[in-house]
Amino acid sequence: MPLLDDRISSTLSVAPYGQPPDETQAALLDILKEELAYASQRHTRYRNYVEHWPVDYRSASRVSDLPYLPVGILKMNPPLSFVGANEIKRILTSSATTSQSPSRVALDSATSRRMTKGTAIILRDFVGPTRRPYLVVDTPFHLANGNGLGARAAAIQGLQPFASETVYCLRLNDEGELNLDRDRLSEFAQTHRDAEILVYGFTFILWNHLAKPLMAQGACLNLPKARVLHSGGWKRLQDQAVEKKDFNEGLARVVGCAPDRIIDFYGMVEAVGVVFPDCAEGNKHAPAFADVIIRNPLSLEPVRAGESGMVQVCSILPTSFPGNLLLTEDLATVVAYDGCPCGRRGTSFRFLGRVPKAELRGCGNLRINRSLPY
Amino acid sequence: MPDLLQNVTTPAEISEAAAGLRQAVAARELSPSDVMAVFDSWAENLADPQLDDLPGIVFLRIWLRRSTLEPIIARELGSNGLQGGWTDYGRAKCKAFPLGVVGHWPAGNVSIQPLLSMTCALLGGNAALVRIPSGLVEVTSRLIEKLAQCDTGGVLTRRIFMAAFDHRQQDLQEAMAQAVDGAMIWGAEEAILRIRALPFPHWARVLVFGPRISVAAMDTGAWSDPSRQKPWCQRIARDVWQFDQQACSSPQVLFLEKGNGHSTAGFLRVLQRAFENENQAHPRRTIPPALTSAICQARASWLLADVGHQATFPKGPDWTLLVGSGSDIPKPVQGKTLTVLEVDNLLDAVSKFDGNVQTLGLGMDDPEREKQVACLAGRKGVDRIVKLGRMHVFVPPWDGVDLIRPMVRMVRHVSSTE
Repeated sequence: MPLLDDRISSTLSVAPYGQPPDETQAALLDILKEELAYASQRHTRYRNYVEHWPVDYRSASRVSDLPYLPVGILKMNPPLSFVGANEIKRILTSSATTSQSPSRVALDSATSRRMTKGTAIILRDFVGPTRRPYLVVDTPFHLANGNGLGARAAAIQGLQPFASETVYCLRLNDEGELNLDRDRLSEFAQTHRDAEILVYGFTFILWNHLAKPLMAQGACLNLPKARVLHSGGWKRLQDQAVEKKDFNEGLARVVGCAPDRIIDFYGMVEAVGVVFPDCAEGNKHAPAFADVIIRNPLSLEPVRAGESGMVQVCSILPTSFPGNLLLTEDLATVVAYDGCPCGRRGTSFRFLGRVPKAELRGCGNLRINRSLPY
Repeated sequence: MPDLLQNVTTPAEISEAAAGLRQAVAARELSPSDVMAVFDSWAENLADPQLDDLPGIVFLRIWLRRSTLEPIIARELGSNGLQGGWTDYGRAKCKAFPLGVVGHWPAGNVSIQPLLSMTCALLGGNAALVRIPSGLVEVTSRLIEKLAQCDTGGVLTRRIFMAAFDHRQQDLQEAMAQAVDGAMIWGAEEAILRIRALPFPHWARVLVFGPRISVAAMDTGAWSDPSRQKPWCQRIARDVWQFDQQACSSPQVLFLEKGNGHSTAGFLRVLQRAFENENQAHPRRTIPPALTSAICQARASWLLADVGHQATFPKGPDWTLLVGSGSDIPKPVQGKTLTVLEVDNLLDAVSKFDGNVQTLGLGMDDPEREKQVACLAGRKGVDRIVKLGRMHVFVPPWDGVDLIRPMVRMVRHVSSTE
């Protein structure tokens, strides 16, 4: 494990988007194979899965041939873990908006440290390295949850390395509803009017609890140097039919910055530490310590550039749970396998949305229990 | 789109179509033999290489043959039923008369089900008002067009109206229910409950074919004989492949009865080859990503649940064999995912059936044992017990009921002159 840890650390030290894709792939393949061997030693049922994979991972020549897990498997309770209970520092849980049960991710200190570092490396490439005032469009309530950490809290914490001070501008009222704390927001805006600042919130929270109330008032925070990051997906804005362009323009208007300073990033608790912000071209990129494979649902083979499919996220960061090779329930289009005009190397892709749930219609779809006379 | 199949947007269109169908039934009495004459031509017309890729086309052609239908009609409608005549029942005579207009609500997952359901009503001399699920419009169009081409006199086509509309259009669903004298409803629980709650006339006969699953089972003698493994495995693969394992008659699990010293390993290798061959002959052309997800989830869940569990599958979602032991039916996955379970005694597995099992496909070597299994299966709610390889053969009784007789009135005549 110390050797493996060193190799992961060394990959984290290279420029995240500057490596030729072939070199990145070769490095990832080696480390992921080592991680599979390590995990197989520590978890007999996981080894059973890996050993039944149609391609022997030891002889695989592509990352896409390595045994991946569907993300739904991380909903198991107790969570799948490659470390002893005493080594688990924290359990992350997903927001579970699509299904009833959340994913549970067991982090030991090494994985936790790498994940924090991974997020920081990626975001540094997009927002710069300096610490700056950090406005969180949420409440601190979500952070106070013992050893467990939800998706919103994990995202908020992931940006802490960029914060010189942190201010939360939402509060819960007596009914437990989120309300804008206008006094605190005004104070923050006045204090940091000419400064580089960072704003973060879940996509639907930013829209419903910051943009809409301020737009209704015709108010503007006058923060031209703000960078606004948001994540969590668009599902909860579906009923309002908010388009990304309208979202960016509306939010930019109330913050007082240019729309191109608003950055949507895709990330998930199950692959925390690897986030995918939009570049200036509107594409998402995988860093050197991770990869994205878009698979054709019919063959599960990687699609060609321009084609769409199911998103697999590969990451060398986790060693305490099986989050290295995860087939998600998201769909995306590969823009190119290299050569994005933004200058970042490797795969560029665009997120399309969730895999539509299958409708129960057929005569072979059984959900009922009968009782018999015998 | 042929005239027989139309996109419908208003309740008035449905009422008008139903009135036309009722007139057609009133205008001429059709015997099953008359109907079969058209079916024969239709079956010939369906032997078009361009249709070979349509799922279920072979079944439909076989179903439409006179040799398939004649014994069914004779059994359900009586020995003179073929010609539409009266059949003696002791001192009485009986004859089948149509109910009138029969509405059909087929499931969205079996491509030929709208047509199979419709033919049952037509054989009883009825007219058919068929709701076509949105996913089946194209395939149904291609198949019904072949009927229109050969039925130039309109013997049957005057009695058919296929309405394509979204299942959420409650006003159209209600208009359809109000217009029919009988209904054949197929599908999952939610669809069945929604359709049964529609405002049917008080006289309407409603026949429901609800959600079920099916199971395959073999005794030791059958699976352990190397000379017979290949044909048995081909039969199992055929049953799994049809309708992408989504039909109520699709096997979701195969129970193998353990035998003294016999290992299932050899049989499983043969089964794997049969699946590979079937996949090569009949590959999927599309798949919903949600099904791909479910298949990947099933593979992982199975192997992560128990170190004793095994599985065989290719890199794609084409097919999956999940192997273990036990007598409980696992949660169905569909998408050509067959769970193979070794069991000490087949009767243990069958005794746990709870009424949800529609078809039990059997591969047995011991006839006495088969009788025992069949008897227990019947008591445990199974409605069809057939040989492996024939699990989808659409022959009534289906779900324990006849298919033609429920949509006719059997009129009893006791002569006053005798």
